[in-house]
Amino acid sequence: MKRKSIFFVVPAFLIYTILLIVPIIGAFFLSLTDWNGISAQFHFVGVKNYLAMLSDKRFFNALGNTVKITVCVCVVVNVGGLALAILLNQSGKLTKVFRSIFFLPYVLSTVAISFVWMSILSYTGILNSFLEWAGLSGLVNDFIGNAHNAIISICVVEIWRTVGFYMVIYLAYLQTVPTELYEACMIDGGSPRQQFWYVTLPMITPGITICVIMSIMTEMRQYDIVKVLTNGGPGYSTETIAYNIVTQAFGNNMLGYSSAIAVFLFVLIAGISVFQIKASKRLED
Amino acid sequence: MGAVVNGKTKFRKIMVRLAVGILAVLMAIPLYIAFVNAFKKTSEITKSPLTFPIPPTLENVRKVLESPNIHLGEMYGNSLCIAFFGTVICIAVSALAGYYLSREKSKLAGALSVYFLFGLMVPYVIVYVPLVTMFKGTGFLGTMPGLILVFVSGSISFSVFMFQGYIQSIPLELEEAALLDGAGQFSIFTRVVLPLVKPCTATVAIFIGLSMWNDFLTPLLIGQKMTITVGIYTAIGPYAADWGTVFAYVLFAAAPIVVVYLAAQEQFISGLTVGAVKG
Repeated sequence: MKRKSIFFVVPAFLIYTILLIVPIIGAFFLSLTDWNGISAQFHFVGVKNYLAMLSDKRFFNALGNTVKITVCVCVVVNVGGLALAILLNQSGKLTKVFRSIFFLPYVLSTVAISFVWMSILSYTGILNSFLEWAGLSGLVNDFIGNAHNAIISICVVEIWRTVGFYMVIYLAYLQTVPTELYEACMIDGGSPRQQFWYVTLPMITPGITICVIMSIMTEMRQYDIVKVLTNGGPGYSTETIAYNIVTQAFGNNMLGYSSAIAVFLFVLIAGISVFQIKASKRLED
Repeated sequence: MGAVVNGKTKFRKIMVRLAVGILAVLMAIPLYIAFVNAFKKTSEITKSPLTFPIPPTLENVRKVLESPNIHLGEMYGNSLCIAFFGTVICIAVSALAGYYLSREKSKLAGALSVYFLFGLMVPYVIVYVPLVTMFKGTGFLGTMPGLILVFVSGSISFSVFMFQGYIQSIPLELEEAALLDGAGQFSIFTRVVLPLVKPCTATVAIFIGLSMWNDFLTPLLIGQKMTITVGIYTAIGPYAADWGTVFAYVLFAAAPIVVVYLAAQEQFISGLTVGAVKG
């Protein structure tokens, strides 16, 4: 067949290169300067921004929060999503209705749902007035204003938002497991628990790998919920890396320094992606 | 599972449905709260958040509609404009590129595939500062076309990857037949290839269209445009403890998506999950 004209690829190439690749190179460049975004001149400072990062408590706090949120959300949405999928897989006619309900939060704007949760979780909000009403005033708590609770609240909102999404993916994988395998296991006297460990789990391992990596990648970039629910506060206590980058750049005008953190996040995520590509290749073999 | 139906499995089935039903209700509570309380006075909301609004008040909704700072029409217009043109442009350029990359076996095509794939690993937050810096003073940022193209650039990797994979699975015969009939390359693409990739186009459109509609940071930082998401964020600020008004804003932000979602659930669910798993 005749060779295709290179012009097919030109429009995509130009938009992608100018508006995505060049800015990324720009970020590497900026991370080596002390530019504040206002003054006309800036100096090359080498790796100074990266060294500053290593002694920045606020940065490590943001990194710690990101890891906490990532681990918590990743574990709960995957265990919960799989459990829901197994339940839903057996619920017959109503499966589709339930599936739609569980999936709905995922299509809504994160900003909008975060406001709903703010009204529920804030000190004068719905949950606390409900607890008072139910005679459980011992459980009344500041779910957003207190640093420890606030991180948990952020996780709860994110779990609620995404668990239905992972559930649908697990459901699709569960439906690829041949019924004969379950029958064979039952004939051999396998209990439902053994069916799960020896039939279901090995058959859906590719799905688990994909979902775990996907949830890690999503949570590493967490910004919207933190912005609406806590604004990074109280103090800096619930900042994530993405939140830290945006506030350092657009709030504090530390463009050079924030670019260094952004490059760090980029390297971290690219590393996970490379690992993901290798893992999925191994699964295909 | 198995064809044996006895009392025990029947009981189990009922228990499973009951458990799923309870979980579904729990999942739906936050959305239910947002919906019913948009029609209540704030003083009633904290007293009885779960009751139905009888009689419903339109006070909150009116507050949103009559607010001098909020132009709902403009916000919906901006969001729709971004999501529509962003999706159409992205699909057009990505389908073209995906076609080239899947049909060409040259070294250049291989290198370009990897080049486009690279964008999938980028945490988007890295590009905001350089973008704003680069285009300061060019008059390009802060404009609608600029913002739309920025959105397109962020979705190209995913879309090219999807189209490339899909077109690879389409047999060459039809294109060869069209070529024998004397059709040019571009007309083969529009008349033969594009109709065949419709399922892929639908998946990509839902995936990137929804992400553009819902995006918060990009229109805020790059375009300074009041989309519906940015709009409710700025609008709620002064009303943060006036829950009735907050819910009314949320209602306006979520309603279009909920309507479209309910009308095309299957396409939405498969589009978003297939897109995510492949991308």
